[in-house]
Amino acid sequence: MQVPVAAYLPEALALAAALLTFLMDAAGVRQRVVVGSFSVVLYVLALISVLGDLSVAPFSIFATVPKGLIDTGAVGPIQFSSFGLLWQAIFLSASLLVAFASLSEGEGEREVPIFYGLLALATLGTLLVGLSADLIFLLLSVEVTGISTYVLVAYARKDARALEASMKFYLIGALSTAISFFGASLIYGAYGSTALSHLRDLPPSATVGGTQMALVGLGLLTVGLGFKVTAVPFHMWAVDVYDGAPDHVSAYLAAGSKKMGLLAVLVVFAASVSIFREGSAWALYVAFSGLAVVTMTVGNVLALQQRTMKRMLAYSSISQAGYMLIGLAVATPASLAGTTIQAVAHVLMKGGAFLFVAAMASIGVGNRIDDYRGLGHTHPATTASFAILLLSLAGIPLTLGFVGKFYIFASAVQAQGLFIFLAIAGLLNSAVSVFYYARVLRIMYMVEPQTSSQGRWTPAVAHLADPGAGSTPPSAGSSKGANLGRFRAEIQALGLARWSAIVACAALTIILGIYPTPLIDLANNAAAHFLATGP
Amino acid sequence: MSVPLVDILSLSGALFALGIFGVLTRRNFILILISVEVITNAAILNFIAFSFYSPGPAAGGITGQSIAVILVGLAATEVAVGLAIVLALNRLRGTLNVAEAIQLKF
Repeated sequence: MQVPVAAYLPEALALAAALLTFLMDAAGVRQRVVVGSFSVVLYVLALISVLGDLSVAPFSIFATVPKGLIDTGAVGPIQFSSFGLLWQAIFLSASLLVAFASLSEGEGEREVPIFYGLLALATLGTLLVGLSADLIFLLLSVEVTGISTYVLVAYARKDARALEASMKFYLIGALSTAISFFGASLIYGAYGSTALSHLRDLPPSATVGGTQMALVGLGLLTVGLGFKVTAVPFHMWAVDVYDGAPDHVSAYLAAGSKKMGLLAVLVVFAASVSIFREGSAWALYVAFSGLAVVTMTVGNVLALQQRTMKRMLAYSSISQAGYMLIGLAVATPASLAGTTIQAVAHVLMKGGAFLFVAAMASIGVGNRIDDYRGLGHTHPATTASFAILLLSLAGIPLTLGFVGKFYIFASAVQAQGLFIFLAIAGLLNSAVSVFYYARVLRIMYMVEPQTSSQGRWTPAVAHLADPGAGSTPPSAGSSKGANLGRFRAEIQALGLARWSAIVACAALTIILGIYPTPLIDLANNAAAHFLATGP
Repeated sequence: MSVPLVDILSLSGALFALGIFGVLTRRNFILILISVEVITNAAILNFIAFSFYSPGPAAGGITGQSIAVILVGLAATEVAVGLAIVLALNRLRGTLNVAEAIQLKF
């Protein structure tokens, strides 16, 4: 079946956002409002188009992919699957969130169009991963995002920490790409084709020890893509990179590009079951179960010891990747649906949390967890949002984080056999993670900013916090007026876009946590098709 | 008369091992970069060899060769970005030793 050009609308919009933004740079248009709003509008249009293709109620009239093409198999290197489309929606939400919140950043001479252009290119790569039905196409798409994000981390060229982060990110990224391609070449040798449908349906050829070669190739692919997902033996780079990168870029790395790695792993390994069909399927399950358990445990244990906020969030992000890998190890429709829900939650939680850190850094709050003392009293709305996001990360009920984890663990229990140990390990890890999230909550709410004896409460912050909290004239009287003033001062200090992005993340986490049915239906449907008809 | 597949695979395997060894032992950014390129070249060599000896549905096709060309382009793109980072880094710090990149550890 012929694919109409309009079917590529989301990818075309992302590409347009990238190219036109670079053109704007050349034409000298560098105001953040103009450049940023342009990207935001295109992301919104792309998101509407993707949701339309998924037949989400109010948007279904905007569908551009013919119904006959969805979930019906590959067209060359490309495939429109509801699973891929759903993940595309996740990627676009992450980009939209970061692009929108960045409207509140300060004006940079040259940096603004570079930032938005590279972000759009990275988005394009993630979207292509959602479409791919060919191993090489998939790895190239991953690389589009990879190369854009290496530069994105270093886009502030004068920042030594960001440059160092970029260097580490680049070296690890290039190495993982090279290893992935070497693995892909072995798989190509074993099958004579790189189409994922061949990996799925045909046994490896017997000419050159096909099965063993395919296994080695798959192992190397696991290593290469494991770097992208920050699965544990390959996670070392993530913390340094998240820590050193500009805050909004960290938000994108955690929310966007990491999800892309996860989808790539899902797609490759759902396709490669045929290799393991020959009596050694347990090896695959053991490998991924081990990876999942080690990833979440190491992430959580190291997060406990962190003194700075970004490193703590980075380690917690690693442990979240562990939870999502459980879904891959169990590999039933329910578990993949759980992973998808958790990915949605993770975009909101990690995106919102890193944006909060960015917002606090912009008003002079330090990066140490201790520096966040008393923020609950001075910046009530955003701190409450951050608190909600942390509770969701810990998996407290009534949040989306709980729904996702519950779904994943329940699917592990349902799958019976030894998978129940995965659920137990996950539950124990969730319990451990509550400690470090609760510590942050305590510091933000139970410790008064004034009681600080070390004087880390910088004058700049006190000044910004004052107009609302302190200086509301007594004549205004009512505490309501004082509260309103406090909110207004908070919005003014943090910037409207960033403030509303953080609050929206928390609100969505709660709304979807209380009423997750539409999301669960979408995820279940997509995951069932994914396992039935292939990636 | 052509080179047997096993010989080519041994060569590419050796290149791969050499590249990994280089990445693990070198401390200079550019030397690490070169080691990574050696690994990429091992993959390219594999693709071309398998394209020639293709067993599967695409026997006699040029899939592997076209992938090899794409990979050469990809490697060039990566190196361009890598050298840009090297330049910026060298300008800022005056060293390319990755062992001195320890600002982000505390």
